[in-house]
Amino acid sequence: MFGSGAMTNSINEFDAADLFLVTGSNTTEQHPLIGTRIINAKQRGAQLLIIDPREIPLAKFADLHLRQNIGTDVAVLNGMMNVIIEENLYDKEFVTTRTENFEQLKEVVSKYPPKAVEKISGIAAADLKKAARMYAKADKAMIAYAMGITQHTTGVDNVKSCANLAMLTGHLGRAAVGVNPLRGQNNVQGACDMGGLPNVYSAYQPVIDANVKKKFEEAWKVEGLDDKPGLTITDMMNAAQQGELKALYIMGENPLMSDPDTAHIEHALSNLDFLVVQDIFLSETAKKADVVFPAASFAEKDGTYTNTERKVQLACKAVNPPGQARPDWQIICEISKLAGYPMNYESPADVLKEINALSPSYGGITLERLSKGFGLQWPCPNIEHPGTAFLHKDKFSKGLGTFMPCEFKPPAEMPDDEYDFMLTTGRIYYQFHTGTMTRRVSILEREAPEALLEINPEDAKKLGIRNKDKVEVSSRRGSLQMKAEVTERVPPRVVFSTFHFSEACINVLTNSAFDPVAKIPEYKGCAVKVRRCA
Amino acid sequence: MKTLAKKDINKILSIWSQKHDVLAPTKMDNGDCIFSAFDEKAFTLDYKKPPLSPKSVFFPQSEIIFRVEKNRYNEVVAAKKALIFGLRSCDMMGIRQASSFMSRDNKDIYYQARQNAAATVVMACPKAQNETCFCTTTLSGPVAKKGFDLQLYDIGDTLLVEIGSPRGEELLTGMPLAEMEESQAKQKIDEFLQNAILTIPEVKSVIDAMNKLKDRKIAEKVWDDFGAKCITCGGCAFVCPTCTCFNVYDHQQAAGEGIRLRAWDACLYSGFTREASGHNPRASQASRLKRRHEHKLLDYNNTDIQDGLCGCVGCGRCSDYCPVHIGTLEVVKAITG
Amino acid sequence: MKRTRSVCPFCGCGCSFYILSENDRVVGIEPSPENPVNKGMLCVKGWNAHEFIHSPERLVTPLIRKQGELVAASWDEALKLVANKLMDTHKKYGPRALGFLSSAKVSNEENYLMMKLARAVFKTNNVDHCARL
Ligand code: SF4
Ligand code: SF4
Repeated sequence: MFGSGAMTNSINEFDAADLFLVTGSNTTEQHPLIGTRIINAKQRGAQLLIIDPREIPLAKFADLHLRQNIGTDVAVLNGMMNVIIEENLYDKEFVTTRTENFEQLKEVVSKYPPKAVEKISGIAAADLKKAARMYAKADKAMIAYAMGITQHTTGVDNVKSCANLAMLTGHLGRAAVGVNPLRGQNNVQGACDMGGLPNVYSAYQPVIDANVKKKFEEAWKVEGLDDKPGLTITDMMNAAQQGELKALYIMGENPLMSDPDTAHIEHALSNLDFLVVQDIFLSETAKKADVVFPAASFAEKDGTYTNTERKVQLACKAVNPPGQARPDWQIICEISKLAGYPMNYESPADVLKEINALSPSYGGITLERLSKGFGLQWPCPNIEHPGTAFLHKDKFSKGLGTFMPCEFKPPAEMPDDEYDFMLTTGRIYYQFHTGTMTRRVSILEREAPEALLEINPEDAKKLGIRNKDKVEVSSRRGSLQMKAEVTERVPPRVVFSTFHFSEACINVLTNSAFDPVAKIPEYKGCAVKVRRCA
Repeated sequence: MKTLAKKDINKILSIWSQKHDVLAPTKMDNGDCIFSAFDEKAFTLDYKKPPLSPKSVFFPQSEIIFRVEKNRYNEVVAAKKALIFGLRSCDMMGIRQASSFMSRDNKDIYYQARQNAAATVVMACPKAQNETCFCTTTLSGPVAKKGFDLQLYDIGDTLLVEIGSPRGEELLTGMPLAEMEESQAKQKIDEFLQNAILTIPEVKSVIDAMNKLKDRKIAEKVWDDFGAKCITCGGCAFVCPTCTCFNVYDHQQAAGEGIRLRAWDACLYSGFTREASGHNPRASQASRLKRRHEHKLLDYNNTDIQDGLCGCVGCGRCSDYCPVHIGTLEVVKAITG
Repeated sequence: MKRTRSVCPFCGCGCSFYILSENDRVVGIEPSPENPVNKGMLCVKGWNAHEFIHSPERLVTPLIRKQGELVAASWDEALKLVANKLMDTHKKYGPRALGFLSSAKVSNEENYLMMKLARAVFKTNNVDHCARL
């Protein structure tokens, strides 16, 4: 691959692209103001290519919509590359001067001719060819993807395959092209950038690097920083279940609803000696805690947030927190002080100064500059630097871009005789994440008050299910009841629901099998059975 | 005619600020220009129409309308003395439309209290603020005909002052006024108006569209196409100076304690018309958009605002801020095709 | 009515808006007209981001579990309890027995401090957040 997990290009560049390949992203519902740019681009004549099993709202505008079988993305993308190489549509100059490992890619994708891909993915060979040609021939083609690509046991392979496709066709390193993961929550990008990850400090500085360790030891005036990667959230839950993890401090997350296989998480959390949750509401997870800290909401504190295009923006305090609630940063400082390590910050601005000093790509993103404008995109190494709209302009951050071909692997759990449906999960427009905030907005709650199970009319008929009938859906891990929505949005043998609603949170059913590298669970596919409730 | 020196304007606003919450065009640090609490250093006369119209002063997006304390009900009618400086004539017309609606049948006491407490100082529009202005078509600009307390004409170093009400008169007490001879002032205003109108051409198709709507001669496909694009953000209703729909909800804080609030709602949201049975008389986004635009261009015809044209005041905000370009101008274009 | 610049909390687009407030209450939202991300526009979630802030269900005091129930407690008590428990666990079972989850919903500064707390104070790299989810 060629760099870190961030959008290579900027939101504004969507206005200049000639073709969009949208895959695993329900853009108009999850990133509405990026989705609208695609709709508008369509009206000015841009092409839209969608690869998604569901008939997402954007599909109405698609020139071509490929509805692959769930979890067959690698095969589909390999098939497209097969056609592109076979028909000599790849960017030879780009491949020769900017990439390595082309021969290996060629070898792997040669095993995926359109006919073979049709068998795996259900996509007609003719459509696959058409898609490959459209993408390869466009001058400025952008790939946009989201959790539909990453939330698979083969998530990393899916991402690599998108990158391979972009490199092969030279759709990288310029304006209005690139590989653009749309990050879900408002500061996922920032949480990663700040080192909220077990293997890196801020700005992706590896914990195993001795120089980095030394740098942070000196800056923080401590000794003996841990130089081995820690546990991911998925591993932490397993460690808790096994009694190895004893205490967990959770800030602003609700894993009991957002993580797969609720029963497993519940067991893991109750196995802890001590659980601290810091949140603005008493979330399902907070209800299990030994101590709950009341936190301030975004409107009640100063701070910066990094959006999906790597842009750091400033938000300021508008009102005081209710009651005794305090901003998260103050609570952490208090704990630190009591634990014998005083953190002397007067304000988030002081913290930002330390971030500037210790995180190279954030070096020039100062409060002063942020307050005078609309934000800065990292990398922005110093205060003269204007920020970076698109990455990999003349070379990749690691020199040559390496093709990393992947073989297709089926999802961890496939439908069988008993669990005969594939369940896929996602979000809806009116709700956000586990619903702690949006379900407390009366208009949003009015628009979408309950969980629904989308099921294809063909299947509904067979099972005697009518629209809004109550159904029971079960997997090997649990069972839930909710109303059915009979709709063509899902293909036959596939059902869909969300994790916004605690009354029927779909993660009771999902599989915690995860990608071996990224540790992202397979939310997008597991086997279930469905029946109508009496 | 009374005049003020432009260089004094900051001083004058400071004086008004002593007794009013003054909302005025403000250049923010980041470069945005919006209406915000008057701040001498950030105040500017070089501004465009902000996303929110002044209705947000009389009818805030969210507002407490009563409290229940110890099981007793207490109405909350909150109104501070306010002054909106620099609103444009289209927004003045918007206030008149909304006020007329809010005082018909059942008087909306919350709205009226805030409106009575707020003075308006219009800045006549010297030119189109951007390409979506069409106030000359809707008969709402570039200068306001009535409704304001004061209206100012910027003719260079001098501001001509038109007094619209006794409250306007009062606002001028103690101010450094000068006098311009009536005929000269009239000539200046005519010139101002001529120049302004030149930059805001009449959009005849708006009238054509209204007629077509009246004759029910519009292909459903127009609405279907818009319905397919609309992302149901509600923004068009929220930025519209004449939209006044709201939703009412309660926050119970403890037994016998709570508040009732109201907050802006939009006819574009499907729950707006959904009935308790689940039935929705306007089931599709297309039908909701059709309803909205009929309401603006058709049903508001011949309103009691005799000198206005319809429920649209020609500010162009829905065209500026709809993420998928379904503003009045685009709808008109599609209708008259 | 005060206007304070902010960023929408509901998705990764990062639309920018002003929070309108009056008497320490949020009363509305106005999109930033010039911010290149949203240019005066928002989606339904952004436009309605004002309401949950004053929800009566907001947590307003620290809570501590006593006899199985979460009950209101003082900051002093709650902070001390947490700091002591974390230190005890660290002493008894080592740094790897502690875990810290930071958040895709809080600010960069807060995420930075959470990872600093885990790493500098409790010497563990067991720090992660829900980006994968
Ligand atoms: S502003 Fe546009 S997208 Fe939003 S509700 Fe109105 S018509 Fe629909
Ligand atoms: S307003 Fe909508 S599109 Fe913009 S950041 Fe918020 S949730 Fe995302």
